[in-house]
Amino acid sequence: MKNRIFMLVSLLIIASVLLAACSGTEAPAGQAGTTQAPAAGEKVTLRVLVHQNPPMVDFMTAFNEKFQTNHPNITVDMSIVNANDLSTVSQTRLTAKDVDVVDMFGFANAAQPYMKKVDPPNWQTLIEAGYLMDLTGQPFLANYAPNALQDAGTYNGKVYEVNLGRVIYSGIYYNKKLFTENNVKVPTTWSELVAACETFKKANIPCMTAGGKDGWPIFVGAYGLLGAIYPDQAGLVEGLWTGTIKWNDAKSLEMWQKMQIYARDMMEPGASGVAGDAAPGRFASGAVAMFPGGSWYASAIEAAQPDFEWGYIPFPGSDNPEDNKYLFGKYDQGWVIAANTPNKEAALLYLTEFSAKENYQAFVNAVGFIPTQPDVTLDTKIGQEVAPYLSNFHVGYEQYWVAPKGAGQYANPWASYFKPFGTYDDPQALADKVQADLQSGLDAVK
Amino acid sequence: MSYHFGRGREKLIPYLLLLPGIFFYLLISVGPSLATTVYSFTDATGIRGAPIHWIGLDNYKEFLLMGQASRDNYGALGRTLIFSFFVTTIQFALGLIAALAVNQRLKGSNLFRTLYFMPVILGAVIQGLIWSLFLYPMGGPMAKILSLFGARSEFLGGQPVEAFAWVIIVQIWANMGMTMVIFISGLQTIPAELYEAARIDGANARQVFANVTWPLLTPSVNTNLLLNIIGSLQAWQLFLVLLGYRNGTQVLGYVIYAQGFGQTSGSVTSAFRQGYAAAASVVLFLLVLVIGMTVQTFLRRREERILGS
Repeated sequence: MKNRIFMLVSLLIIASVLLAACSGTEAPAGQAGTTQAPAAGEKVTLRVLVHQNPPMVDFMTAFNEKFQTNHPNITVDMSIVNANDLSTVSQTRLTAKDVDVVDMFGFANAAQPYMKKVDPPNWQTLIEAGYLMDLTGQPFLANYAPNALQDAGTYNGKVYEVNLGRVIYSGIYYNKKLFTENNVKVPTTWSELVAACETFKKANIPCMTAGGKDGWPIFVGAYGLLGAIYPDQAGLVEGLWTGTIKWNDAKSLEMWQKMQIYARDMMEPGASGVAGDAAPGRFASGAVAMFPGGSWYASAIEAAQPDFEWGYIPFPGSDNPEDNKYLFGKYDQGWVIAANTPNKEAALLYLTEFSAKENYQAFVNAVGFIPTQPDVTLDTKIGQEVAPYLSNFHVGYEQYWVAPKGAGQYANPWASYFKPFGTYDDPQALADKVQADLQSGLDAVK
Repeated sequence: MSYHFGRGREKLIPYLLLLPGIFFYLLISVGPSLATTVYSFTDATGIRGAPIHWIGLDNYKEFLLMGQASRDNYGALGRTLIFSFFVTTIQFALGLIAALAVNQRLKGSNLFRTLYFMPVILGAVIQGLIWSLFLYPMGGPMAKILSLFGARSEFLGGQPVEAFAWVIIVQIWANMGMTMVIFISGLQTIPAELYEAARIDGANARQVFANVTWPLLTPSVNTNLLLNIIGSLQAWQLFLVLLGYRNGTQVLGYVIYAQGFGQTSGSVTSAFRQGYAAAASVVLFLLVLVIGMTVQTFLRRREERILGS
């Protein structure tokens, strides 16, 4: 009897292990081109997944209502998740065949030929596993700029994502009223920025705020410092990998020195506790002179205080004004369709209508994206503010950067390593630490 | 040992009754644990259908031996032990004090029991939100208290050591109620006559505690110590909610989450490395196993010495 019970328990263990193991290797059932479109007029529930971005969610809600009115047989079931969870939820729902259309950030961080032993980004793994529909040749793609499709949605010559816009994150919002009242000129150089902050501090006005609680806004706020010194961000990444650029060389040390001033002297005390989505409200309250941040914050500032007067300038990281005319950013949100969707026709229809010029124009105006459709312009205030610099738009460093395995946790150009947010108060010591952490990884993957 | 389920085939009844429980235990707990061990030898991303390659011990070599990242992992390991030590000892002591206090037959003791236990039923997100507001550096309650003394702090967003200390405090606040409840249940099993006899013999409060309460609380002490140690070694949610991925604050549990779900960059989602995270999980499991077994052996011997076998 004991033997039989032992056998039974053993079988159960083996069965459970096999179940767990099999669940990890099952291939997706559907592939692009093999799904059956529902018959015309058939009731369809189109499952759409987007990330939390209040202006975008408001727009999408209105768009969905309009879409449903145009197509009474289609019901749009839109889910909203936090931006940090989008990647995980997308992956889970794509593999569970539980979603049709997904909002996915522009393809970035691809492995480059000079990078050794790096893991492919998730979007690439999803494509290779057959989860994203090949959209190549779909008529609505013609509405978008070919370079946007190529840069942010193409892999191995096929289009998998329609990118909906670029955002800028190397600028500073400034409070026009405070600048006027304190006779401060809008800074175009680093020295002018430092002087402006000193003037505001003397007047007991905090110079800058940021959503430090989320961590990354402190880094993103200082992007202009990185950009002013290394305008060719793809070249910077290659230089770091190949050793021609070092985080502790003389050029980089200048950046670290300025980052310390930014973190220690420019940022208001307590900024580390301000949540990312609360920072625009803090700035719009009129209490702070400047707010280094991305173009996507504009609509939140306007929503918080519609009459508030603000401007937006590139972060002046250099004392040469010509070096400060660049804007850095990334391809933001785009649409992908699940390859195994049973609602292929409805999903393509959804993207087709979204891509119609009037809808797309309303979308970019709502969210403040720099459009990827050539016939559309950003008509909003932020659009006017960034228009003079758009010809100098560059994709930013962190869209290219992939850390070598074995690199330490400090191998990044982040201003938040400095006090009061971090532990460092010596730029040279931090520069050496960052380079050592990077070099450790580069040596490990040789 | 004998049981009363008859003879012959009837002896099978208890085993049959156990089968559903064993089945679900194997399916939900043992199976995934073994699968995690298997995954730790692969480059799995967690994306079903993506190719998985057997890479032997590479994940373990990377985690334990590769470059500065492995030294950072040892830093996380050290912080895990520090976190566990402070959480276990302080939570244990406060839980015991609270249990002794609310176990008195005093007016309002039920209210305090409820208040002390309340944080336990809140999820990590709510707990994190409450403390983020309490520690808001621009006018939050704690900032106002500090300002009375002319001091200020960035609290959770400032120096890693201070931020780490706050997570210890929140972890204790969040779980002390459970420790207290286990102690209360232990206190209520101690016969009242023993206290009465001790007092008749002239024992003072300290002597009553040392010679009656403490020895007879041994089962509760053991349960609490083991739960606190294991729970604190595995903690990660409050680190995510309160601090995010910040250098100098990560514990091993959070490193596993961050690697498995691409949260290591801070500004962009990096590749999901679930094979590597599985290897880190196995390391954490071994750590919990070694510490848990050692403590359990010590506690069992202590229990045998105090209460007899």
